[in-house]
Amino acid sequence: MARQNSASAAVAVPKNGNTVGGGKWRRLRKSCPWLLMLLPAVLVVFLFNYLPIYGVLIAFQDFMPGDQIIGPYTRWVGFDNFIRFFTDVQFWPLMKNTFLLCILGFIIGFPLPIIIALSLNALKGKRTAKVIQTIFTAPHFISLVVMVGMLTLFFGRYGLVNNIIAGIGGDRVSYFLEEGAFRPMYILSSNWQDFGWSAIIYIAALSNVDPGLHEAAILDGASRFQRVIHVDLPAIMPMVSVMLIMSIGGLMGVGYEKALLMQTDGNLGVSELIATYVYKQGLTGVPDQAYATAIGLFNSVINVVLLIIANTTSKKFSENSLF
Amino acid sequence: MSEVLLKGLKKVYDGGVTAVHDVNLAIQDKEFIVLVGPSGCGKSTTLRMVAGLEEISEGELYIDGKLCNNVEPKDRDIAMVFQSYALYPHMTVYDNMAFALKLKKVPKAEIDKKVREVAQILDITQYLDRKPKALSGGQRQRVAIGRAMVRDPKVFLMDEPLSNLDAKLRNQMRAEIIKLRQRINTTFMYVTHDQTEAMTLGDRIVIMKDGFVNQIGTPAEVFGKPVNLFVAGFIGMPVMNFFDNCKLLYENDTYYAEIRGAKFKLDDFQQKALKQNHQPACDIVCGIRPQHISVGSGDLVATIEVNEMMGSEVHLHARSDEDEVVMVIPTVDLKVDVSAGAKVNFATQPKLIQLFDKETGNNLIWYDKESADACAPVCKTYDFQ
Amino acid sequence: MPVKNKLLKSTMGDKVFYALNYIFLGLMTLIILYPIYFIIIAAISDPDAVLAGEVVLYPVRVTLSGFQKILERADVWRGYLNTIIYTVLTVVLSLIVTIPAGWALSRKTLLGKKFFMIYFIIPMFFGGGLIPFYNVMNSLHLVNNMWSVILPSILSVWNLFMTRTFFESSIPEGLVEAARIDGAGEWRIFTNLVIPLSKAILAVMALYYAVGQWNSYFNAMIFLQDENLYPLQLVLKEILIASESTTGGSGETILEQYRLANQIKYVSVIVSSAPVICLYPFVQKYFAQGVMIGSLKG
Repeated sequence: MARQNSASAAVAVPKNGNTVGGGKWRRLRKSCPWLLMLLPAVLVVFLFNYLPIYGVLIAFQDFMPGDQIIGPYTRWVGFDNFIRFFTDVQFWPLMKNTFLLCILGFIIGFPLPIIIALSLNALKGKRTAKVIQTIFTAPHFISLVVMVGMLTLFFGRYGLVNNIIAGIGGDRVSYFLEEGAFRPMYILSSNWQDFGWSAIIYIAALSNVDPGLHEAAILDGASRFQRVIHVDLPAIMPMVSVMLIMSIGGLMGVGYEKALLMQTDGNLGVSELIATYVYKQGLTGVPDQAYATAIGLFNSVINVVLLIIANTTSKKFSENSLF
Repeated sequence: MSEVLLKGLKKVYDGGVTAVHDVNLAIQDKEFIVLVGPSGCGKSTTLRMVAGLEEISEGELYIDGKLCNNVEPKDRDIAMVFQSYALYPHMTVYDNMAFALKLKKVPKAEIDKKVREVAQILDITQYLDRKPKALSGGQRQRVAIGRAMVRDPKVFLMDEPLSNLDAKLRNQMRAEIIKLRQRINTTFMYVTHDQTEAMTLGDRIVIMKDGFVNQIGTPAEVFGKPVNLFVAGFIGMPVMNFFDNCKLLYENDTYYAEIRGAKFKLDDFQQKALKQNHQPACDIVCGIRPQHISVGSGDLVATIEVNEMMGSEVHLHARSDEDEVVMVIPTVDLKVDVSAGAKVNFATQPKLIQLFDKETGNNLIWYDKESADACAPVCKTYDFQ
Repeated sequence: MPVKNKLLKSTMGDKVFYALNYIFLGLMTLIILYPIYFIIIAAISDPDAVLAGEVVLYPVRVTLSGFQKILERADVWRGYLNTIIYTVLTVVLSLIVTIPAGWALSRKTLLGKKFFMIYFIIPMFFGGGLIPFYNVMNSLHLVNNMWSVILPSILSVWNLFMTRTFFESSIPEGLVEAARIDGAGEWRIFTNLVIPLSKAILAVMALYYAVGQWNSYFNAMIFLQDENLYPLQLVLKEILIASESTTGGSGETILEQYRLANQIKYVSVIVSSAPVICLYPFVQKYFAQGVMIGSLKG
């Protein structure tokens, strides 16, 4: 501040281009190696993510496989394909199946990892906790095909459960052909595979809790359970809300790959989801690509809307948000 | 020959924040310059602009007479020691030191000779095969300095190199840097927030605040002739006492400083300087260093609140009206009761009183002469382009 | 006295808590382990005993005939080989694509950084969907080509951001600056400084991509028609799942079919998952590390 007056005199001196000039070009030159490093990733994303986004245009066309997306013979039909979907007899069953599966899965699948993490963290033996955690995480690496295969081995007509029922004189029931069994099987097996994996993130957050906080709580007379509620749980709350936003955003994007594997003629009434329907309409039988694309687009739009709602809600009530 | 000239250097970040406003500094060959100031004052940014790690928003940087604004760091012929040491963790000490030379494609034998020579000087020969992780803080510091030394740079840049060490090691390394400097005899630019380092290491000290240079001068100058309140308060331990609501009086062709009603007739050199400036009577802030106060007599009165016995001297924290006064009294000069609660008279010599303009905070005696023209003469000799 | 009482009470409460906690975790462990254990004992038991429901807690009439049968199945081994090839290629290519891009994105002064971030974020939340994706692959002439399984898997935007977060948090800026002053260019900084310091993220990424490819079936199902190109998971799908949906009629022939098929199923589950499950405990810390890197909000 003392120099300010003399400073203003000196500032006028360096205004000859070569010192400051070429800032943008210089930055480009400096960034050049980095841009080259980025190039392959940009290309891959362009090819496999952006080109398909461009391809959704066919949702607004009367499109036959082999047509150009925009060409002289393009027949634009506006929202006809969407209207067709909304009036499809399948529309409401599909919406119901998708939403129900997602919401039921979320209700069980969201809190479970948190409980597991808190419970593991409260174990006295850190070694034991490590071993149990390793066991809990292992099923995550079982592939979907094997997972569904295991389900058939346990719940199929000649699977373990039926073998035992038959062994004690009951009747065999193929749970794969039962509509009522689809959702429980789907959701419980998904949780069986992933609760340990989803817990890792919370366990990591819990391991960062200052031990001093626990010691202070002990001196205040808190029991272990009270410490879980008043020390551990608040510590992972920010993480919980971030995960909440993400899972709400991904609600409609449930694992249709798994549903597809689990589908049988018997359970189709509940196992047909929007995404599996897209697959069947667009890639099997006599493909109706424009229609299928429109349904898929409808699904993604719902997803984005859900995500934005979740994010803004969370932003309003806490400082946690994704973007 | 390796002078460094900073001409109106300015750093504006993308967000519009100006970190460094206008640094003019001419560093002479083999000079040891220390940039000092509180955190966020722009000293590190200035150093990083010299290193080429930060782009220069405005102004010109000359190293050895060559305009270096757009020269890559590696081509500036500089070396830098980082606060975090920044040793490559996956390389041995030897490889850390040899890396720059390898990149320069210096022949292997020469690299080996140079690295060993430097290791010898720094006494780290026995650690050459170790990874940085296996070294103590002080040893890492040496390696970081060694890595810079092997390059024989024109300018040696150091960014708070000692601040990660504990107090004892810091003193030791400080002494080593002084020794080192006598050996390698090149131009140094050293950034620190520690005034002791600044005072003991620097040939000249640049004191910065909020992106502005406040004063450039030798340690004696910045201590004895602080140009403004900030410099006066920043340099010196304990901090200088400031007396608010004082007056500069001009009576019968003579200037007086009035502190709490006590009138001090100023010294001849002060009279002369004030007269030269045609300084009218005004409100001032008076600064008196704790070491320049004597107790037992005088017109000023204070009540002792805390008495800290340091051995050879006593630090007294006292209250005089609304002002806190700290006094450092050599134990041998102590003749009156200075225990807590005691009332003492104190005084100082008028020539040791610093007079600051209440409005601007500038030193009435030293401001113009010392600060504004500090580097101007040297700058002029560089006006060749 | 009252103080002591209170202490005693709280420790009693804690004891109950710890006991309940142990029971809960023990139950969960059992739920995880039993199905895996059952698959193993069923695979090495006499298929008749399995079908009769005799195999519940321990193997009955141990036999390795199932493993023998699977050794004879050429399709399984071809699938195995294909999967190994696809996985190796995916890992190599994905590292080449992901790691440098992650580094570039972690640089503060990257020109157009904001643009690139948005460019990569958009596909995380919005995609063209299945059909346009299929059409793109078709027009790239990738359908019924092994690259259709590999190329779309070589970049996951999640992994890219995870890599970027790792670089931002674990490569100190001072180190890069020191290298720059030492005379290293951006490429050399990347190869001589960043790569040697990033073994953790390299391992995590390699494992993520490898497991992803090893376990995937969907792309293979829609893009590959030639059975010689089928990866293991697709072969398994035929073995494990196809039969259940065709359970139209009932009767002794179907029972007989099941008797034979089930044993193969148990064995193939083991054979296909063995590499991943066996490797898993050793690399577990890397996976966990990956999740934690990912959790540092980027």
